Amino acid sequence: MAEEKYNMKNPAVKRILQEVKEMQSNPSDDYMSLPLEENIFEWQFAIAGPPDSEFEGGIYHGRIQLPAEYPFKPPSFMLLTPNGRFETQTKICLSISNYHPEHWQPSWSVRTALVALIAFMPTNPNGALGSLDYKKEERRKLAIKSREAAPTFGSSERQKLMDEIHQYMLTKAPPVPQLGAEQTSDEQATNQETDAVVHPQDGDDIAAGDEEPNPEADDRVVADVREVHVNANAGPLRVSFSAELSVSRRVPATGSSEQVQTQEVRVLQRSDDRLFTWAAVGLTLAIVVLLLKKFLRSSGVDVASIGGFK
Amino acid sequence: MGNNEKVAVAEEEKKSVNEVVEVAIETSYVDNDDWATYRDDEVMQQHNAIQAEEAHKLPFVGDKEPLSALAAEYQSGSPIIQEKIKLLGQSFSAIRRTRGDGNCFFRCFMFAYLEHILESQDKAEVDRIKANVEQCKKTLQNLGYAEFTFEDFFALFLEQLESVMQGNETSISHDELLTRSRDQSVSDYVVMFFRFVTSGEVRRRAEFFEPFILGLSNMTVEKFCKASVEPMGEESDHVHITALSDALGVAIRVMYLDRSSCDTGSVSVNHHDFVPSISDSPNGTTNAVAAKPVMTLLYRPGHYDILYSK
Repeated sequence: MAEEKYNMKNPAVKRILQEVKEMQSNPSDDYMSLPLEENIFEWQFAIAGPPDSEFEGGIYHGRIQLPAEYPFKPPSFMLLTPNGRFETQTKICLSISNYHPEHWQPSWSVRTALVALIAFMPTNPNGALGSLDYKKEERRKLAIKSREAAPTFGSSERQKLMDEIHQYMLTKAPPVPQLGAEQTSDEQATNQETDAVVHPQDGDDIAAGDEEPNPEADDRVVADVREVHVNANAGPLRVSFSAELSVSRRVPATGSSEQVQTQEVRVLQRSDDRLFTWAAVGLTLAIVVLLLKKFLRSSGVDVASIGGFK
Repeated sequence: MGNNEKVAVAEEEKKSVNEVVEVAIETSYVDNDDWATYRDDEVMQQHNAIQAEEAHKLPFVGDKEPLSALAAEYQSGSPIIQEKIKLLGQSFSAIRRTRGDGNCFFRCFMFAYLEHILESQDKAEVDRIKANVEQCKKTLQNLGYAEFTFEDFFALFLEQLESVMQGNETSISHDELLTRSRDQSVSDYVVMFFRFVTSGEVRRRAEFFEPFILGLSNMTVEKFCKASVEPMGEESDHVHITALSDALGVAIRVMYLDRSSCDTGSVSVNHHDFVPSISDSPNGTTNAVAAKPVMTLLYRPGHYDILYSK
C-alpha cells in the first residue's frame, strides 16, 4: 500500500490502513476484501454464500465505498455478482450499511459489515429497497454460475483485484451442493416418516429443527454459523448446528463438504440404531406377553381375571 | 432424552448471536415501514442538511459569554427561571455554549477538562488521568473490542492532553484549544473517545448500571451501549455522566436550570456532584481520583453548557 500517497494525519486514512492490515493478517474463509491501490476509499470484496442456504458455494463480488468521514459515517455496499437476493450495482439496504446512518457506529468495521452482509443473504427481503426475492432454484443456479469467474466491472486494476479475490475465494468456498429440489424434499419426507414411525417424539424434534416455520429463528441460526467463522476458535458451535439442522435437509449431499457428510452419516446411524433398538424391544415384549399368556392358559388360570386385576 | 438435550443446547447457542447482526436484523424489520420509501443517500443527505443547519447556528464549542446573555434568553420567560438565573449570577460569571447535536455533554467535558489542565498545568492530574485512560483501554480489550476500532480515538485524546501542557514543541494556546474543539476531525474524535470510555465502564460494571438503565430505557446494558452510548449524536443522561466520571476519575458538578420550585415558594438552584466512586476501581487503587469538581456544567432539559465560577 502506497502510504506516502495519503495524508497520514488524516484520521480516516489511518484507520482504513489499519483495517487493511488487519484484514490481511487475519484472512477469513468466508470473505475477502481489499482496497484499490489507487484509492483506499474504494474496496472490492467477495463473500462466500452462507452454508445451509441456497447460496452455499456461491462467490459474490461487490464494492465498498468508504466516506471521507469514515468511521463516523458508514461504508456503502453494492453487489456486482447476480445472486437473486440483492440487486446488482445498487446500494444495499442493510442497517449496518448506510441505509440507516443513525445505526452505524465507529466500533464497527468493514469486517463486521461483511459478516452482517453474509448473515443477511438468507433473510426475507420484506420488500426492502434493492432486494430481490428469487426462488431457491434460481438462486442456486446463480450460485453455481457465480463460481465461473468474477464479474466484469470497472478499470483493469479493479478487474485484476477482483480476479485475485476470486481465485482466493475459490480455494476457500465449498462447492455448491449438488441436489435437485425435488430430490431433497422426497428424501426429507421419507426420513421424517421413518423417524416418526419408529419414535414419534424424536421425529418431531428433527422436524422442528428442519422445518422451523419462524423465519427469525432461521436467521439466527445462520447468524450463529457466521459468527463461528469469525471466531475460528468456536468451531464446535458449527458442528453441533450441522448435526441438528442439516439432518434431513441435505441427506444425499454427494458433492458437499466432508465435514457435513460425516455429521449426516453419524446422525443417520443414530436413527438407524434407534430403529433396531425399538424393534428389538417391541419384539421381546410381544414374545414375553405371548409366552406368559400361553403359560397361564396352560396352567389353568383364568386370563380374564388377571386382566381385571390390572 | 438425548435429543431433547441437544435441542436445548442448540437453543442456548442460538441466544449467543452476534449482537451486530441481531441489531441489524431487528432494525430491518422495524424500519421497513418508515424508511422503505427513502433511498439511503436521501436519508444521508437529509442528515447532513440538518447538521449543516445546526453548524450555522453555533460552532461545536461557542465563545465565553457573560451570564447576562443567558438571562436575555429568558427575558419574557418563566419567572422561576429568571429567579434561578439571578441566583446563578451570585456564583457564576460566564457561560460557554455548546452545539445541541446530541454530543453536547461530551463536548462540554472535553473543553472544560482540557481548559482546566491548560490553566492549572497540573502535571500530577495529567499522569493520573493517563493511568485511568490506560485502564479504560484494557477494559475495552477485555470486553472484546478490536483494538483498531478504538486506538485512534484514544491516541487523539492523549495528543490533546499533551498539547495543553506547556513547554513542549506541540504545546498549544487557549485560542488553539478552542480552534481544535471546533474542528470536526479533532472534536468528534475526542467525543468518540469519551463514548468508548463510557461504554466500556457501563459494560464493565453492568450489574451496577443495569437498574438505572432499565429505569431509563427498558433496554439491556448491552443494547443500551450499542444504541445510546456508542453512536455519535446520542444524548447523555446521568448514566453516561456517572460512567465517564467514574472511569476517568473526574468529578463533575451539574447545575439544574428548570422550572421546578419548592412548595414554600422559595427558589433555589439544584445541583448534583458526580463524584467518582473509588471503591470499584478496576486496579484496586484508591488514589486515582480528583474529588473536587473540576468543571461545572449547566443543565437545561435536553442540553448541557459550561459555566464559569466567579
